[in-house]
Amino acid sequence: MSFLAPFSLFLSLLALPILLMYMLKLRRREVQVSSTWLWHAVLRDRQANTPWQKLRRNILLFLQLLILSGLVAALARPAVAVPSVSSGSIVVLLDASASMNATDIEPNRFEAARSVVRTLINGLSGNSRMTLIQAGFQPEVLISAENDRAELLRALQAASPTNGPADWKTAFALAAGASSAEKGSQPATIVIISDGGLPKTGLPPLPGDVNYIPVGSSANNLALSALALRPSGNNLELFARIANFSDQARQVVLSIYRNGELLNAQTVEIPANDQTPISIKDLPAGDAIYKAHLEPVGTQEGSLDALSLDDTAFAVNQSHKNRRVLILSKGNFFLEQVLSALPGVSAYRALPSPDTAEGSSGGFKLPEPSSGETSSFDLYVLDGVLPTAPDSNLPVLPEGNLLLINPPPTSLFNVTGTFTDTQEIQVADHLLTQYLDWREVHIAKAHYVQLPPWAETLVSSHGNPLVFAGETQGRRVAALTFDLHDSDLPLQISFPILFANLIDYLAPVQSVNAGENTLPGESISISPGLDVQELAIASPSGTVFSLHPDENGSQFSETGELGVYAVNFVKAKSQSAEFFAVNLFSESESDIRPSETIQVGRTMISASEQAKLGKRDLWPWFALTAFSLLLLEWWVYHRRL
Amino acid sequence: MLFDEVTLRKINQLTLVAKRVRAGMIKGERRSTKRGTSIEFADYRNYTPGDDLRRLDWNVVARLDRPFIKLLEEEEDLAVHILVDLSRSMDWGEGNTNKLRYALYLAAALGSVALSSGDKLTVSTLQSGTISSQFGPSRGAQNQFHLLAFLEGLVAYGETNLNQSIKIYSLEARRPGLAFILSDLFSPAGYQEGANLLQSKGYEVSILHILAPDEVDPPLAGDLRLVDVETGRAEEISLDGGLRELYRQSLKAWQEKLHTEFRKREIRYMKLSTDTAWDKVVLYEMRKESIVK
Repeated sequence: MSFLAPFSLFLSLLALPILLMYMLKLRRREVQVSSTWLWHAVLRDRQANTPWQKLRRNILLFLQLLILSGLVAALARPAVAVPSVSSGSIVVLLDASASMNATDIEPNRFEAARSVVRTLINGLSGNSRMTLIQAGFQPEVLISAENDRAELLRALQAASPTNGPADWKTAFALAAGASSAEKGSQPATIVIISDGGLPKTGLPPLPGDVNYIPVGSSANNLALSALALRPSGNNLELFARIANFSDQARQVVLSIYRNGELLNAQTVEIPANDQTPISIKDLPAGDAIYKAHLEPVGTQEGSLDALSLDDTAFAVNQSHKNRRVLILSKGNFFLEQVLSALPGVSAYRALPSPDTAEGSSGGFKLPEPSSGETSSFDLYVLDGVLPTAPDSNLPVLPEGNLLLINPPPTSLFNVTGTFTDTQEIQVADHLLTQYLDWREVHIAKAHYVQLPPWAETLVSSHGNPLVFAGETQGRRVAALTFDLHDSDLPLQISFPILFANLIDYLAPVQSVNAGENTLPGESISISPGLDVQELAIASPSGTVFSLHPDENGSQFSETGELGVYAVNFVKAKSQSAEFFAVNLFSESESDIRPSETIQVGRTMISASEQAKLGKRDLWPWFALTAFSLLLLEWWVYHRRL
Repeated sequence: MLFDEVTLRKINQLTLVAKRVRAGMIKGERRSTKRGTSIEFADYRNYTPGDDLRRLDWNVVARLDRPFIKLLEEEEDLAVHILVDLSRSMDWGEGNTNKLRYALYLAAALGSVALSSGDKLTVSTLQSGTISSQFGPSRGAQNQFHLLAFLEGLVAYGETNLNQSIKIYSLEARRPGLAFILSDLFSPAGYQEGANLLQSKGYEVSILHILAPDEVDPPLAGDLRLVDVETGRAEEISLDGGLRELYRQSLKAWQEKLHTEFRKREIRYMKLSTDTAWDKVVLYEMRKESIVK
């Protein structure tokens, strides 16, 4: 304990006047009595217990001196050093990244950080306020500018470490905002409690005083820093990398599981602060979930390392299904060639019904609408023909996405004639016309088509659409208003590009665009098929998230857990599933070595000693004590008389 | 200082009680232990040869034909000594609670009782170790007014030395009898010796211990300098509740001690507070104590 205004202690000299007054006060009042004989006897009796009586007699003096000392002590402003910023407010940045789960200090680093924050809260002085920011992969303000300790502690209790890297830039932006939002000229003091896993460069400077309290003691960690599958020939090859961040060479057992069955286990030696790549060849092809796990060698006691999150990794091998395209054509070599050459597309050609006369407008029966995935097609390509309904001879459009080439009039749009004036061609700037070079394309004749309101013109000549696409009645439709045989488009490089674009648009790939290196907290874009009504995504722990996809697909960001997620594409009649894995492949998180300094802006900030953090004024307590003593003195005085 | 009519009449009906009757010089109104020649009948006894034939009860001889001697009461007077402590400390207390006034009332009452019952009364005042003034010895109710006049003229002054005063009083040749000592007993030199001396001379001693109420429970507090009105000696004291309680306890213990000590020596001891009406004390308390009847 120290005094902030030690010169006030000289005021304790006021004790002298009090003592003096006590001496003066003992001039006694003179009273006559009939005889002092009995009083004398009484006083003689009292000699026996003199010390206590003397104390009793002087208890008022004693109390008054105590009151004086309390007041003087209050004026001298005693203060204790507390791990706190006594004056002003604090913004606490609490690291909640995966490395804070490390158990090198009991019970783990995050709990240690939590107890530091608890001390800070308890050391918070009177009107100081605290903002608590949890820096996870989605930094979050747990509580803002609060001085109620109960509320702060409740908010602190709600904090929990995440499994992924922290987004320090966002956290810093939040902290800078919270610090500047403090009233008064002084920005709040910012306290960063972390194990030092901050990026070395690129963090913006922070306003005000920045303190850094490190947690963590050990660098003992082994990590699976990569796990990937590659096709090699007809089989699969698995590639893994094990990193050792400790200062000792380690031996570890790497076990590979395929769909939960142990496939391979080997002992790997990793030098200190180094990595060991491992590849396992000739794994069976086919869809499977691979799991790699690090275990201690033999009967080694205890856990492998301080951080267990990165000791397990998953990889998913999944082949995408081909899109099924049905071609209804009287025979178009170019079309069949381009569709069979496109990857991921299975082209089927429907044959004309034998009982229909050649050359009629129809000639193609639509298959019975039967259940089952095999009978439905993702895309129908109508090359100058219209199929008829199965039970009648009326032309009808099949249910589904359509690519119309050289179209006859349909219920979707009207065809009014042909034109040959196609020298000047405009190509609209559109996603579907990407990489398209139409300059060398010539078209002999095309149909006049009145552009329906739902469609967008992609290629046109003198305002007459040559290629257009759009969405109507729940399906995607694209049309080429000319016969491929009437142009040299099939001979140009633009032909496969245009068709690839159109097919991707008309029959989108149903997939989860998760890379092999998805970190916790990263968002995943999912492109469901058009007929997918709902996405049900099950996390590794079994929590099911439900998404309703729109035309641009869906973003899924609840990837806080490590492990394999299952994406269910729920369609009207069926459903299919895909998997993706979230792994902690992050060197900055796996390297749990606590760092003594952090770089904020251009400033290097060293670990603060807790004692330096602040002093807490204690004067109100002394003043309160003096006041209670005053009350006590009053009571004693009145009791004596 | 006059007794009112009713009180006086009541007092005059009382008689002082002596446990043992002292031999009187003259015939009085008290029965003696000696069988005497008065006209009061006491008893009969058988005649034995040699008895005075004049004292035969001839009526009984005539009726029973056996000689009986008639025994008659001997009546004699009693010497009553009233000693009033007349030191400064006795002049304490306001109005009716003044100890001296109270003592004089009691002396007057007891004296009147004695006079009206034909006893020989001596009233003496004790002051500064001497006998400062004296009334009597006198006898007869006609002296009542002289007694009252004497008492009215008394003024308290000087210190108390009960021992010496009583010693002097007892050494003077007097006829022993009842001795009443009226005092507050605030006598540093003590009073036991004097009382013992009186008793050894054959006096029957009664001590009436008179205290004012503010001596029993002093209404004092704070840091005080207590000045003794008698000696002028000062006692510095810081009075609080505890000390006052200690004083009360000490006073009580003192009175208890006096009571047991005097009881052992067959000395009557009455503690009196001046807030009790003096006539009530005489008419009821003293009767209860068998001082008067």
